[in-house]
Amino acid sequence: MYNQQAPFFTQLGILTKRLLLRVIRRPLSELPNLFISAFFLFIYDGALGRVFGSSAVGTSLDFAQGNFVNFILPVSIISASLSGSASGFYIIEDIESGVFKRYQGMPISKWAIILAPMCIGAIRVLVQASLILLIGSFIGADPATGFSGYLAVLGFGFLWGLGFAGYSVAASVKSGSSQGAQAASFFFFPALFLAPTFVPREALKGWLSTAAAFNPTTYVIEAIRGILIEGWVMEVILPGLIVGSIFALITLAFAVTSAKKIYEKG
Amino acid sequence: MKAVEAINLHKTFTTKKETVEAVKGVSFEVEKGEIFSILGPNGAGKSTTILMLTTLLGITNGKASIMGLDVEKQDKEVRKKIGVALQDTGVDALLTGRELFYTTGRLWGLSKEQSNERTEELLELVGLTESADRRVKTYSGGMKRRLDLGLSLVNEPEVLFLDEPTTGLDPRSRRVIWDEIKRLNKNGVTIILSTQYLEEADELSDRILIIDKGVVVTEGTSDELKSRVGGDVVTFTFQKEESVQIAKTLIENAEVNEKELRITVKNGAEHIPIFMNTFTQSNLNVKSVSANKPTLDDVFLKVTGSRLENETPAESKQSKQSKRPSRGRPGRRGSR
Repeated sequence: MYNQQAPFFTQLGILTKRLLLRVIRRPLSELPNLFISAFFLFIYDGALGRVFGSSAVGTSLDFAQGNFVNFILPVSIISASLSGSASGFYIIEDIESGVFKRYQGMPISKWAIILAPMCIGAIRVLVQASLILLIGSFIGADPATGFSGYLAVLGFGFLWGLGFAGYSVAASVKSGSSQGAQAASFFFFPALFLAPTFVPREALKGWLSTAAAFNPTTYVIEAIRGILIEGWVMEVILPGLIVGSIFALITLAFAVTSAKKIYEKG
Repeated sequence: MKAVEAINLHKTFTTKKETVEAVKGVSFEVEKGEIFSILGPNGAGKSTTILMLTTLLGITNGKASIMGLDVEKQDKEVRKKIGVALQDTGVDALLTGRELFYTTGRLWGLSKEQSNERTEELLELVGLTESADRRVKTYSGGMKRRLDLGLSLVNEPEVLFLDEPTTGLDPRSRRVIWDEIKRLNKNGVTIILSTQYLEEADELSDRILIIDKGVVVTEGTSDELKSRVGGDVVTFTFQKEESVQIAKTLIENAEVNEKELRITVKNGAEHIPIFMNTFTQSNLNVKSVSANKPTLDDVFLKVTGSRLENETPAESKQSKQSKRPSRGRPGRRGSR
């Protein structure tokens, strides 16, 4: 009789591999987010690099310490982490196509079904963030922490991407439709721009400064900037790590509790 | 031990706006090795009943067991015993047939070797070996159904649930699925299928449960059900369409179905001359006449008072010819 239950990690591995095949077989769907992230990097560096880059050295505008690519690269990394939000779409696709129902009728852990798209989301973030870092290094990024700094930045990208993946899964499951998942992804824009995106937090004024203080993205951007510009400054890196981890844990919990909804038998 | 036992199943769906009782006390039993059909029109409660039995939908009231296991309390165990191919279960269209079988095998706990072996067996069984390495999105509707059927067999189920397995298929693909179902049943798999196709229920089933509006209206073998109609069905059409209404007043228990006059009598052929004489005397010109054994459509009409509408516009173009026998055309009916 072929009716055993596969171990949890086998299930997770198989389901993740299935989604990976889906990603590989739709390569064009990867391009828009990668393009936007690279676009941010080129445009902002092109538009602001001269003002805040080497020509700002020795002035009060020298917050990039002479290398604006180092300063703006975290924005593109955070933008690349949005690719984690595709996780929710995988769940919705499976629900809408009936694949999810098939899995419900099999002895598969519901956590494996929820975690597989999150794993794929995180893998996508890693790949996209790596490409952005590669582009950044070509146009002049020069981390104060050396090569290990790149790895730390990727770690932050992965953490933030996992958080977005969890949020995306939860929002998709809650809404139950691809439109709902799409609508939920707009959260990304205020998250990215109500933050010290182009200038340090101290340079923001009024309401934007207040909003940035409450925006978790702020701390992750600042941590990545710290790694690239200042070095291993734990007072900057640690808050980013804590905020990023809390965000990932909260959204993961949100995803898991939301998943109960699709397992309700009605 | 019965393969399936459903006792007074109820299912109520409650939304903010309304409460709908989709299944209202459905009970039946299925013996091991049977092909059991649940026949009824759209919205009769067939799929809801199957969803409850396959653990995919909670039971509002009542009890059900599969191979002696309680569907609600032992749902995990039940899932290991059953295969399910639902109307709206899907397959990942970006994967190939081979990848889907392999993945499903691994998820059922098979080793890599076992999964490869089972993949080849099932591809062969459902006739997809040649298309195994093509992505499923390139498969025809019939191939997808065969794939779906094959996937529901990966765990070697003792009881197989098929929810409208041939809906939307052309007659040739339908026939292929029927052959597969018969072959599986021959190998000892108990099969419960829901269908709105009279011909399908007639062709495949050992026993048929007819449900309408969430309640069981009758149950039995095809022959038992037909014998309950009470004789042969004699069908007349007339040169002038309006004659059918006049003819109805001349014969006791005659019924009008669209442009036909239908009379259920014992020994239908013997009565034809008598009826013909009656119509001739009233100057009603008969265009055609036939006497047939009753069909499941006649059974459905008798027990529910309405016909079983089972053809969608999309299907009517491709399978009009094949549907005729089950839609009450004279002289072309099956007589099982």
